Amino acid sequence: MKNNPLSFSVNLKIDKSSNNTPQFDYWILFSVIFLCSFGLAMIYSSSNSLEMTIRQGTYFFLGLLGMLLLAFSNFRKMEVFYLHSFWPAFFLLIIVLLFPSENSKTNRWIDLGLFTFQPSELMRFILPISAASFLTKNLKTKMKDMWFVIFVTLICFYLVAIQPDLGTSIIILLAGLLPVIISGFPWIYIFFGGFLVTLSLPLIWISLYDYQKQRILTLFNPEADVYGAGWNIVQSKIAVGSGGLFGKGFLNGSQSQLNFIPESHSDFIFSVIAEEFGLLGISILFFIYGILIYRLLMVSFYSSNKFAKIVSGTLSIILLAYISINISMVIGLLPVVGMPLPFLSQGGTALIVNLLTIGIILSLRKEV
Amino acid sequence: MSIFENKKDSIETYRIIVFLSPFLILLFFAFLQILNLSYFNSNIYKTQSDSNRLYQSKIAPQRGFIFDTKNTLLVENNIQQDLEINPSFIENPRVFLKQISDLLDLNFEKIESDFYVRATGKSSQEPYILIKDLNEQQIAKLSVNLKKIKGAEIVSSFSRNVIHKDIMAPVIGYVGNISREDIFNNPELTKFKSLKIGKTGVEKDFDSILRGNMGYRIQERDSYGKLIRNISIEPPLKGKDLKLSIDLDLQKKLFSDFKGRKGALVAIEPRTGLIRALISSPTYDPNLLNSINDYEEVKSLLADKDSPLFNRALSGQYPPASTLKPFVGMAALEAETISWEKRIVDSGEYFVEGDDRPYKGWKEGGHGNVDMKKAIIESSDVYFYALAYDLTINNLSPFLEKFGYGKQSGLTENEAKGILPSRKWKLGYIGEAWFKGDTINMGIGQGYITATPIQIALAYATLANRGEIVKPRIIEKIGGVSTEKVSNLNISLSDNQNWKRIEEALLGVVEASNGTANNIYDRNIRIAGKTGTAQVKSIGETEYKFLREDESLRDHALFVGYGPVEDPKLVVVAIIENGESGSTVAAPLVRKAINLYSKNEK
Repeated sequence: MKNNPLSFSVNLKIDKSSNNTPQFDYWILFSVIFLCSFGLAMIYSSSNSLEMTIRQGTYFFLGLLGMLLLAFSNFRKMEVFYLHSFWPAFFLLIIVLLFPSENSKTNRWIDLGLFTFQPSELMRFILPISAASFLTKNLKTKMKDMWFVIFVTLICFYLVAIQPDLGTSIIILLAGLLPVIISGFPWIYIFFGGFLVTLSLPLIWISLYDYQKQRILTLFNPEADVYGAGWNIVQSKIAVGSGGLFGKGFLNGSQSQLNFIPESHSDFIFSVIAEEFGLLGISILFFIYGILIYRLLMVSFYSSNKFAKIVSGTLSIILLAYISINISMVIGLLPVVGMPLPFLSQGGTALIVNLLTIGIILSLRKEV
Repeated sequence: MSIFENKKDSIETYRIIVFLSPFLILLFFAFLQILNLSYFNSNIYKTQSDSNRLYQSKIAPQRGFIFDTKNTLLVENNIQQDLEINPSFIENPRVFLKQISDLLDLNFEKIESDFYVRATGKSSQEPYILIKDLNEQQIAKLSVNLKKIKGAEIVSSFSRNVIHKDIMAPVIGYVGNISREDIFNNPELTKFKSLKIGKTGVEKDFDSILRGNMGYRIQERDSYGKLIRNISIEPPLKGKDLKLSIDLDLQKKLFSDFKGRKGALVAIEPRTGLIRALISSPTYDPNLLNSINDYEEVKSLLADKDSPLFNRALSGQYPPASTLKPFVGMAALEAETISWEKRIVDSGEYFVEGDDRPYKGWKEGGHGNVDMKKAIIESSDVYFYALAYDLTINNLSPFLEKFGYGKQSGLTENEAKGILPSRKWKLGYIGEAWFKGDTINMGIGQGYITATPIQIALAYATLANRGEIVKPRIIEKIGGVSTEKVSNLNISLSDNQNWKRIEEALLGVVEASNGTANNIYDRNIRIAGKTGTAQVKSIGETEYKFLREDESLRDHALFVGYGPVEDPKLVVVAIIENGESGSTVAAPLVRKAINLYSKNEK
């Protein structure tokens, strides 16, 4: 035990003194509430629209309710429900391709009159839970089940990719494959799969849309086309850089206030935070995200239940993937793909889904 | 307890950590990049952020006003509203121009061509005026709809308005866009690029005073080009006002006599050098030129064969004709080649020894026995032929030069010099040696010699001043500060009596019954003057009658005079092109000018 390289985690562990009286993790709750409230403030700052902020606030309220409901539910009883919830989500994924919202060029949203929502967001949340439930139905996971989950995942990936929504489709891939991998998919297949993907990269490039190719090319030389495809990256880098150490102050970021950053309230909200609160604000944000991810991972690490381990592990990785990919794209490290910053970006479905994710992980804690 | 304690469970934990790590590494690099952006290179991005939102623009100063000597406003600035566009905010020029042309009900092709023509030579960031002088209806439409149109804005500017138009045009001149040549000559003009500068007249000569100084403004704009606020403003400095010495009433009344005539008039105060009236006819409406942008619009003005843009008073070069005679006489007295009383027989023709070609006088049969006084009064040609012949060009030219012939008057740099011929001049310009006959012709102000109206006026002013040469001025005050009289040269004659004698002869031109300008005699205000008839072409008598039919070949009528003789207030020279006889058309003008001015003075 002394020689274990990862034994540092031990000292920071959650209170395990009473195994039978479940403790509610206030660290997770408060960091999520902080992030969402901060997100509302930043949405107001970047959009100057009280209406949009109130709308997002409503989603936050609904999401928070759902999160608490799930948090206090017994996940063992819910497992059957989780297992079968895949099918309605899958159904919606097909529906959105057949009856997309008419207000958009892409087939991502279903228009329900009062609000629109994204089935792909729902799927990336349902898929890992459903898969984990499916994989753990037997004491020892069967290879046959794993292959089935991989197959289903690839279908979902395809359905989202043709919407087209490259960003979410990659997340779907993670959401479906991570449970398989975590539950012990043989390394040899994993490496072989990775090898296949690498080989097919030219094929993937060919199948990309022109605007997607442009975004990737732009990444390497954004200054080449400042007023075209490179605009987003150039302007958001200026916003981040000009924020400096302490930022320009709330509501005072000229880049965001004067509309130089497109999508500043949704995918590019990070650049608004960086501009108005500077490196200091970013560091605090990183710290809070750090606490959240750390506590979520601890749920997985200390759980003795395989389902709980897979679900909380997968959802934590997906959350981290969202954070790291979104930030990297905003500062020009990755191509621009549609990926919101969790809890902060404007967008109802994503917020509610993220809150529900937290709710489920919180419910898993009961088994610690 | 370690998370790996339970070997059986640790496989999931292990895999979670493995697949978590790429994203942690990505986040780590992202943080390094953020550090790079907002700590190490923050200043670069701060500058870029500022240049994104901040726009420096110039504020045009108001050009100085111009008043006449009685403080009547002559030139003012009208405020007009223009449509300014900033190309960097226009995404699709065609759509933009369509919107504008539909909104203002203007021709799309015209606007489109203006859009591209006016953009030439400017950077894509530089705003410029697309539509000038919007009317009220257009302004109303624009102010409602402009919020929706990116890159266009209503700005106000000044346009120059010469109130009395053509009457004052030769004095005031006009303004125009700064040309590449202007900047080449005066690089300082670069910062005034959007302004108009004086192209002729007072507008040009005193441009640097009238111009004022540019103001600057830093504005914050959003990504659509919409103005958010002014960050800082350095107001422009209005140009200084000018007070001219011109008397508008006098100018107006004299100008009315030039209707349909070509010619010039200069009225100058001999004591001070102040110009009270300056007329060149035909003239033009300077406001037409003040408001144009390209030369197409004024082509007809430029192509007019009567050249209305040409300032005859300052640059018209006419043979001084008989108005030169008093100076030839004075030169001869000074060189002592003749005395005041010496008489010469004028039989109507003059012959040089060894040449049987006659030099004819204007009056057939001649004036008989004439001394200098009578020769001036009756304008005897033969007398002055003889005088010039004896004097020789070597004596005549230097003497005339003292009175300003052949030199610019010093009023402005943009005036003609006239020609004061000499042996050297003829060899250089004509390529021939000087003949005695050239001197003889010059004795009556014909031949090669030419002078501008202002030169003639100044020569007579010097005469009226008894030798004091005063520099002409047209500006009385610059921004409230009076200009000073400049006179640094005095002509002294060996016999001071000669001033008086010549003046008496000039008085006789008007007052003696045999004087050539007896028609303008008025005993209340005594005028000394001299008529002149400048030949347009030197021609023989037979051809002459025939050619008179063609008006443009008729002689120019000249009169120059000053008065009241006791204390000369005004020297006036009037030239009527193709007006034939100086006494009939030009002299009454001079009389009118002096009478009006004297009355005014009282």
